[in-house]
Amino acid sequence: MTLTETNPPAEALAAGGDLKPPAQAAMASDDLSPATRASVPQWTPPSGLARILSSGDHLTVGQMYVAFSLLLSGLALALGVLIGIEQADIDGGFGVFGDANEFFQVFALYRTTLILCGLVPLFLGLATAVIPRQLAASSVAFPRAAAAAFWTWLVGAITHIAATFSYGGLGSLQAGAAREQSVELTVLSLGMMGLGLLVGSGVVLTTLVTQRPPGMDLLQMPAFSWSMLVAAGVWLFSLPVLLANLVISWADMRGADALGFGGGAAPFEQVAWAFDAPQVYAWTIPMLGIVAEVFTAAHRSRPQMFEPMALIVGVFGFLSFGAWAQRFFDSDDPSAADAHIVTNQVVFTAFGLAIALAVLAYGGWLAFNGASAGRRPQITPEFALVTVSGALLTTAVATGVVRVAEPALGVLREADGDIWRGFFDAMDDLEGSSLLTGMMNLAVLGGLLAAVGGLHHWAPRLVGRPLNAALGFLSVLPLAGGAVLIGLTDVLSGFFDQPARPYETSRIADIDSVGFVEALNVIGLIGSIAVLAGLALVVLNVARGLGQPAEAEAGQGGGG
Amino acid sequence: MADVSVGMPLAAPLPRQRTLLVGTVLGTAASLMYFAALLGVYLRERADALSGSGEWIPSGADIQLAQPTVAAWTMLMSVVTMQWAVYSIARNDRPHALMATALTALFGLSVVVMTSFQYTEMGLVADESVAAVLIYTISGSHLAMIAVGLVFLLLMAFRALAGQYSSRQTDGFVAASIYWYAVVFVYVVIWTAIFVLK
Repeated sequence: MTLTETNPPAEALAAGGDLKPPAQAAMASDDLSPATRASVPQWTPPSGLARILSSGDHLTVGQMYVAFSLLLSGLALALGVLIGIEQADIDGGFGVFGDANEFFQVFALYRTTLILCGLVPLFLGLATAVIPRQLAASSVAFPRAAAAAFWTWLVGAITHIAATFSYGGLGSLQAGAAREQSVELTVLSLGMMGLGLLVGSGVVLTTLVTQRPPGMDLLQMPAFSWSMLVAAGVWLFSLPVLLANLVISWADMRGADALGFGGGAAPFEQVAWAFDAPQVYAWTIPMLGIVAEVFTAAHRSRPQMFEPMALIVGVFGFLSFGAWAQRFFDSDDPSAADAHIVTNQVVFTAFGLAIALAVLAYGGWLAFNGASAGRRPQITPEFALVTVSGALLTTAVATGVVRVAEPALGVLREADGDIWRGFFDAMDDLEGSSLLTGMMNLAVLGGLLAAVGGLHHWAPRLVGRPLNAALGFLSVLPLAGGAVLIGLTDVLSGFFDQPARPYETSRIADIDSVGFVEALNVIGLIGSIAVLAGLALVVLNVARGLGQPAEAEAGQGGGG
Repeated sequence: MADVSVGMPLAAPLPRQRTLLVGTVLGTAASLMYFAALLGVYLRERADALSGSGEWIPSGADIQLAQPTVAAWTMLMSVVTMQWAVYSIARNDRPHALMATALTALFGLSVVVMTSFQYTEMGLVADESVAAVLIYTISGSHLAMIAVGLVFLLLMAFRALAGQYSSRQTDGFVAASIYWYAVVFVYVVIWTAIFVLK
């Protein structure tokens, strides 16, 4: 027996097992008698909780990301239900929440939880588990860093939620010393989450750059790997800006009185760009890769014209980088000649229009691949999920076009403002309306559906066996139907001037038709409950898969 | 049995995985983005203040240019020593590589000391003006960046002592140098944007 053979395998090392000291390893050589060799304590991998807590195995880390992000997505959707109940009687004062401040805090928590505790880590989990296999690598580039990133994110996420419910939140509409400390903790924990996601993105990106086998260039990677390359790149440049915003807020809060960055609702306002266009699209970039892989697998074909698709995903990623669009730093007086208003900038409008073209081009690529396959797609839960997710993203960017159209049509206003006055007034009103919430919900829920589709697609790899198809189909209807209801009702309400921030009671009086908007909100509430129920079915399906013995994964789960 | 490989061309060597180097470049890029955001906020707020009240640095504060300039030169000198370390390790000259690394770390520590001294001298109260909040946030973040750089240098030095780096494998030192150059670059930008412009 050689020394090499006595050492635990690399994956076992990554799993955090107890290693023999070198001296003991050296003793286990051929020089020793069988009796002596038998007396040498052998390496045993940790089991149970110790295995999970100490693991640097990419599959285990990926599974933990997926499990916790699904649970936290459920929490976010539950918050969405509470917001929906509150909005069902929008002009009747505060019912579920005690006051505007509590509403504001849950409103902010819904966004941070849905995106930074749910969607992004879900994609990172899929990437951490799947990408090494797609690249024929034994692990991710920095396994320990991947594990550290996961635990940093998880501790940050739990602390963030706990701090918000402890009279914290991303700022406050009320002042008070005790409350401010909780706000500080909320800000710090959000920074901790951001740091974890940043390191996780860096690990995925490094893996994609360095762990490819010889001969495989970047454009030969599977579509999901390519989309994660683009996504992790955009996240790597976005998340530091989010951290910078949070650090400024926190530093300001350390003083006796916050001076502008940490006082009032400023902490949320500073990071609000992360939940609005164009950045909200950046969180969904990996869905383009998942859709491509599931779509071609359902047609039992290989992707045709991969390079154009890669270019489209790259352009989508570039256009979705939104850290520059920080409305917190807009001029106080929008009517001033030199006023700086982000949403009036040419680049904001141009990016909003161009990203719609990118999504259209992507749809064209899918249609071309469907036609090239020459056969009907195999209808699976993942195919249904990614189809709906694609439709949701398309609707989201179309909504974004409506939103940016007003500045784009400024030429018409200059030419003859009287003729188009009604139209322009309506477009003006859309800024700050619930249309923005609808756009965010459509994009993020689209991403969530695609991620669940990816879970089905790669389940043999992730949980050791395919997920139950019947349960999968059962979850598609509430997930897809609910997401459509949530998104579209918010968009429609926006046209009736429902504010994007419903806790701002001063704007409730501006709603055109309160009764109709409340009816839409009830429909949206039903959608929230449906998505929550659908997600519960997904969690049940995954738990059921994990609880059963693994099957051989050969031939199961496409996509590399 | 005859060796079947006789007469066959040698296989091309597998490309070396430069994982640490790539990871460091990505981490450095993220750090630069972080400071770009901080400085963007600083310059925007400064421009607003100057076009409004006309005052940015509070009148009671006295921000001298001397210490930041000395610190900037110290940082620039550390570029030379850092490159000396990379040059030496690439030529298997481990003693000089370690000495150059130690000198680089010493320069970094000197900047920490100088910045701390400047904090005590400039009379800028942290919670009395937006400028103070931003200056302490940016310079404090840079101190943290230096601290990370020092830990990185220390780790590379220990690994070099253990014989892990030589002319055949210089990635660790090159990675540390890339990060350190970013530390220096950020300080030069801070020196210009904060201390020269004031």
